[in-house]
Amino acid sequence: MTDEGVMSSVKGGNVKMLAILFERYHIKLYNYFLRLTGNKSLSEDLTQEVFLRILKYRDTFRHESKFTTWMYQIGRNVHIDYLRKHKREIPLDEQWEEEIAVGPQPEQKTQEEQDMVFLHKALAQLTPAKKEVLVLSRFQGMKYQEISQLLGCSLSTVKVQVHRAIKDLRKTYLNLKGGMA
Amino acid sequence: MNKNCQDYQGQFPDYLTGDLDEKTVESIQNHVTTCTDCRGELEELTGTWTQLGILPEEQPGANLRKNFYTMLESYREGLESSPLKKFFDFFKIKNIGEKLWPRRPVFQLAAVIVFLVMGFTIGYFMQLHNQNSREIARLSQENRSFRQQLTVSLLNQSSPSQRLKGLMWSRQLENPADETLESLLHTLNYDPNVNVRLTAVDALYLFSDHPTVKQGLMESLQKQTSPMVQIALIDLLVEMREKKAIKSLKHLLEKNKLNPEVKERAQLSLKLL
Repeated sequence: MTDEGVMSSVKGGNVKMLAILFERYHIKLYNYFLRLTGNKSLSEDLTQEVFLRILKYRDTFRHESKFTTWMYQIGRNVHIDYLRKHKREIPLDEQWEEEIAVGPQPEQKTQEEQDMVFLHKALAQLTPAKKEVLVLSRFQGMKYQEISQLLGCSLSTVKVQVHRAIKDLRKTYLNLKGGMA
Repeated sequence: MNKNCQDYQGQFPDYLTGDLDEKTVESIQNHVTTCTDCRGELEELTGTWTQLGILPEEQPGANLRKNFYTMLESYREGLESSPLKKFFDFFKIKNIGEKLWPRRPVFQLAAVIVFLVMGFTIGYFMQLHNQNSREIARLSQENRSFRQQLTVSLLNQSSPSQRLKGLMWSRQLENPADETLESLLHTLNYDPNVNVRLTAVDALYLFSDHPTVKQGLMESLQKQTSPMVQIALIDLLVEMREKKAIKSLKHLLEKNKLNPEVKERAQLSLKLL
């Protein structure tokens, strides 16, 4: 059964069917929020909020639109609402540092583990707009066309943003790595 | 970089996701064998893109699933116990009632008498219940009115923390009076403290369906001077999907010395609307 078919059923009152969509997408959504916020428990809360909003606003889903695009639209709004309400939170890269600090010390880490740490930190230092397009295209597997619909901008803008995001990320990553060496 | 290189580099993002046809891929690969700039650029992009693959997909804690199913179950139960659902369910069992109805006239008469007595008894208790309900409604009305008065009074205090408290109280109001909404809008427009004005945007978000609030938010956009408040308001108008906000956004863009970030956000929002 397609996502849209399941969602139509949920819209028709069979709310239990939402469990199917939850099982299909909760890990993806959780990782989407995790890459944007760097905070595990917050990402779980935001994922939960998305599914609650899907239930609350199920009547606004139109069968002809793609479910995942609609779901990420809700996800973005949930994230924006969160940012608006918590303007003075700890910056993202500091949050990753907290998560990282729990793991082994840098000298005990393997090369790959160290690279992962630097990549996380470099990702965290991207501007929100660049981070968002990179996360959506690289980790959420969304097509550029879908991203442009989701963000309400042109296809070429998305591609340019992806190109720049990778370049910025690489630059920060190399700086961090150079600083470590 | 010549125009040819620009065209090739414009295709690099599609090259990364594998969304190009074979012919285009081949043409890019041929070009980079001769152009060192483009080769370097493509190697950097593909290298980083591939390297991002080492970041694993994380698994959420077990609580997420547990909380979801609890939420779903309570939501479903809420729907099941709604008066509308009960009303429809009553008609679903109508056929069973027909099957149970006695065939002999004596029993039919007895059943009618039993139902009549039950009807009067239920009616009597319902009347009592209605009296109680009226009392509860009166008390709850008093409670609502108290909350509104408290909100307005806190908003008029001189201390910013008291005014923030007032905004917090406003979140508990279900159907705020016009006077309360006007106080909230007044705080948004004229409060000297930027944090209070920002919190007022959040507070008004809950009542953004109200026509006075809708209009007030659009007008407020012209009055705000802080870029943070301007951006929060723009985001709110986009979220409300308020087409009439297009005019306000255009007015804002005509302003001289508009903060570049606000300008960018307003332009993007115009596209979204």
